[in-house]
Amino acid sequence: MKGYAGKLLRVNLTDGKISKEEISESMKKDFLGGRGFAVKLLWDEVKRVDPLSEKNKIILATGPLSGQMLPSSGKMVIASKSPLTGGYGDGNIGTLASVHLRKAGYDVVVVEGRSEKPCLLVIEDDQVRIVEASELWGKNTFDVQDHLEKTYGRNSGILLTGPAGENLIPISTVMSQRGRAGGRPGMGAVMGSKHLKGVVIKGTGSIPNADDGQLKALGKKGYEEIKGKESYDFWMRQGTMQAFEWCNENGCLPTYNFREGVFEFSKEMDGYVLEQFHVDRKGCPMCNMQCGHVIKDSEDQRAELDYENVGMLGPNIGLRDLRQVALLNRMADEWGLDTISLGSGIGFLMEASERGLIKEKIGWGDFVAAQKLIREIGMGEGTGSLVSRGVKAASEALGKDSYRWAMHVKGLEISAYNCHGCPGMALSFGTSPIGASHKDAWIIAWEIATDRFSYSKEKVEKLVEFQRIRGGFFESATVCRLPWVEVSFGLHWYPEYLEAITGIHRTWEDLYQIGDRIYTLIRAFWKREIPQFGRTWDFPPDRWFEEPHSQGKVKGVTVDRKKYEEMLSYYYQLRGWDENGIPLKQTLDRLELKEVAKEITGSF
Amino acid sequence: MIGVEPWVINVAELKFFGYLADLAGSRKREVTLERAVPLRELLPPRFPKENIIILINEKAASLDSVIQNEDSVVFMPILSGG
Ligand code: SF4
Repeated sequence: MKGYAGKLLRVNLTDGKISKEEISESMKKDFLGGRGFAVKLLWDEVKRVDPLSEKNKIILATGPLSGQMLPSSGKMVIASKSPLTGGYGDGNIGTLASVHLRKAGYDVVVVEGRSEKPCLLVIEDDQVRIVEASELWGKNTFDVQDHLEKTYGRNSGILLTGPAGENLIPISTVMSQRGRAGGRPGMGAVMGSKHLKGVVIKGTGSIPNADDGQLKALGKKGYEEIKGKESYDFWMRQGTMQAFEWCNENGCLPTYNFREGVFEFSKEMDGYVLEQFHVDRKGCPMCNMQCGHVIKDSEDQRAELDYENVGMLGPNIGLRDLRQVALLNRMADEWGLDTISLGSGIGFLMEASERGLIKEKIGWGDFVAAQKLIREIGMGEGTGSLVSRGVKAASEALGKDSYRWAMHVKGLEISAYNCHGCPGMALSFGTSPIGASHKDAWIIAWEIATDRFSYSKEKVEKLVEFQRIRGGFFESATVCRLPWVEVSFGLHWYPEYLEAITGIHRTWEDLYQIGDRIYTLIRAFWKREIPQFGRTWDFPPDRWFEEPHSQGKVKGVTVDRKKYEEMLSYYYQLRGWDENGIPLKQTLDRLELKEVAKEITGSF
Repeated sequence: MIGVEPWVINVAELKFFGYLADLAGSRKREVTLERAVPLRELLPPRFPKENIIILINEKAASLDSVIQNEDSVVFMPILSGG
């Protein structure tokens, strides 16, 4: 099939062996790329291993659209068995590494084993080397990015783990280009466990597409369409930060560890305030709607903000100063910590302090304490160490019913949407395949636009549709999910791009089928790795069911547990999974995953 | 008759979020209505007809929904998250 480099690069850091393998036609056809390739490889090669042992593998995967001259395609997926959740973990990242990997002649890199000494993996077309990097160990991701750009040139694809990943902190992520992050469920720690400080990629070739002329013309039209949209100018001014005012208005801004849905100081830090502080814009390669807004933080350093990190490091910890939030965000990026899990962890500790469950006094909005906690979390020391392994582990250690307000699903912290009054979005978090990520199906806007408080079948059907498009196709193609909804970029473009690239005509129905295969295989992976995995893992925390907000639009409202159960059962039915959320044999057969059935022991 | 008369207490309130505020020319408007009118009559021609959230007194509505004084209307873009 055209449009793929066709090669998988395998690097074993234990014995230094480097090999190149052909990617089979069936792999391309059935799993597309990105997340699809990642879960297939992990299913085949990573079985019941300790995520931080040398037996785990880290996958860097692109898809046929990655790095192409078409809107927002500079993305790739980083995946592994997660040290945070114990299940399937991945994240997409916008990075030059995506573009360069394809030009270097590879679609996927599999890194296995563990290097004796800290190292870098350097890929320059077909020259692949493992280079000792002891001098970079312990350094923050901004300094290392600068150093590697000086050594290899600014136009290099660079993926890094920070000091937190080196310290095997399970809420560590992978960083690129001083602010691009991906791999929330501990992908930074997996790199750290392999003593892999970073990956540098430089490619000079081209991708063998079916019809370059057609792709160029379609790509140009796509870029023009985006620029011509009514919402484009506003998007360029505020980007995802427009969600701040939006969420506050709708009573779903995470505030005081998700206790409330509105923040009394929201007007001091919303998208309009961001516009005043804005000094620069950054983003992913191939994107003409770049959404990273740079402001000067409270130490006058450049820091890149988006809604998620402001929501979680602002109202969720009671902090009202945008420039202070920017500083915390910069610290997180330097340490290589996931900002969502970090904000959730700090909020958890503040609430624990308020309840007298820990002896330290950490007040809401305490900026000095928050900085200290970030250092402690990154080191795995002191009070911060309680949440270094995420709030699920923290609540297990703390006891005293703290699980009720440990805001996670499957061990991954909930991102910045408070869902007491959004049952569809609560289900979206509940069924996201990596834990509580908003990326697979951000259904909250659709449900507010239609019938917010309903638990209808239609809502569940819409959720599955969004998962198919976003979590199935976009994550595997790989392209950014934002152009579609944020600027109403037409979905019809994607099958057209795919055809110009691969030479094969596929409809959205065909692509849904691939998405369903990927979701079901991820589900099977969780079941194989965690035998007790099942229905109870698909529930958000008790706070959403039992503790209503005291103010705002959804004051007094909670998610109805019985009706949530009904929606969940219908969701399983649509997916072809049993009442415990385990894929049915006929579903595995239909999705051509027959071999999987044998391995989910006890399921059939 | 439709007019912008902020000193009149008996008004309908229209709030615009995101790029819709750019299109409407402000983030908030108060209008005095002498009769109930469909929302679309209060909006500029360029205002989008679909893919937006419209809430009248917290309930989902459409451009054809009719409002009157004392109603509170919110227009929001559909977002897909950070
Ligand atoms: S919209 Fe933002 S996240 Fe998406 S590709 Fe562009 S810069 Fe990256």
